[in-house]
Amino acid sequence: MDTDSHSSADAEVVDQIVSGDVNAFEVLLHRYEAHVVRIVKKHIPFDKVEEVAQDVFIRVYQSLPNFKRDDSFKQWLSTITIRTCYDFWRKHYRYREIPVSSLSEKHQIWLEEATAAKSSQSFDERYSQKEAREVLDWALDRLSPEDRMVLELVYLEGYSVKEAASLLGWSTVNVKVRSFRARKKLHKLIKEIF
Amino acid sequence: MSPIKDKDEALRQVLRRAYQEREKVEVTDQWQEEVMRRIREFGKIEASPSFLAMFEQLVWRLVPVTCLLILGLTVLLSSFDFISGYDVIELLMNSTEEITLNQFFGL
Repeated sequence: MDTDSHSSADAEVVDQIVSGDVNAFEVLLHRYEAHVVRIVKKHIPFDKVEEVAQDVFIRVYQSLPNFKRDDSFKQWLSTITIRTCYDFWRKHYRYREIPVSSLSEKHQIWLEEATAAKSSQSFDERYSQKEAREVLDWALDRLSPEDRMVLELVYLEGYSVKEAASLLGWSTVNVKVRSFRARKKLHKLIKEIF
Repeated sequence: MSPIKDKDEALRQVLRRAYQEREKVEVTDQWQEEVMRRIREFGKIEASPSFLAMFEQLVWRLVPVTCLLILGLTVLLSSFDFISGYDVIELLMNSTEEITLNQFFGL
C-alpha cells in the first residue's frame, strides 16, 4: 500500500473512532504498534517500555479529534511518541534519586580502547556492546531530559535539526544550541571517567 | 581529520551502535489488550467544537443573565428622580442672586 492510500485509510479509521466506534482503534493499534514500540525502546529503559507505549496510544486516542486529515498519521503518531518519551524523563527526573554508582574499571578500560581504536570496526570486533550500552546509559542519566532527548535524536539517531525540532515541538535554533551543548557535556562526562 | 576528531567519531560510532542495540528487546503481547481495555474504559471521544460553535454556546449561555441585568437596570433607573437639562438651565437663569467680585473674594 502506498503512502497516500495508507494516509487516507488512516483518516477513515480516525473518522470512525471520532464518530463513536471505539473498537476501530484496534486497527490503528495493530497497524502502528511496532512503529511506536520501536521508538519507545530507543528512549526509555526496558522495564518501562510497555507502560510508556500504552501511554502513547492512550494519548493518541484522546488527541484524535485534533488530528488533521491532510497530515500524515504516522508522522503525527511519531511526534506524540517522542513527546511522551520526553514527558516520561521529565517526570522521572523530578522524582529520581541521584545515582551514586560509578563505572567500574572494565568500563574505563573499554573507553580507553574505544577512543584509541583506529576505527570503530576494529574496536567492535574485540569488544561486546554491553560495556558500550552501560557507558551510554551512565552518561545519559547525567544529562537533563531536554539534553538527553536532543542528543538521542540528533547525535545517536541521526535526525536532522529540523526533524528533531518538529518531533519535539521546539524551534530549530533551540535544538541546534541544545544539541551542541549536550554533545559537549557528553564528551566532558566521558573524559571525566579517565 | 585530526586525531581528536577521529577519536570522537570512533566513539560516536560505538555509542550509536550500542544505542541501536536497544531495538532488539522484545515486549509481550498483553500490553495491546491492556491498551484496548483502558481505551474502552475511557469511552467515546467527542470532536472538539469549532470556535464559532463555542462562541455561539457562550452567547446563549449569557442571554438569561443579560436579560436579568437589563430588567434590573430599567427598574433602578426608573426609580430615580430625573431633572432634565432644560430645568437646570431655567433654575440658574431665574436666580436673582448676583455674585459680585467683592462677594466672591469675601471682601
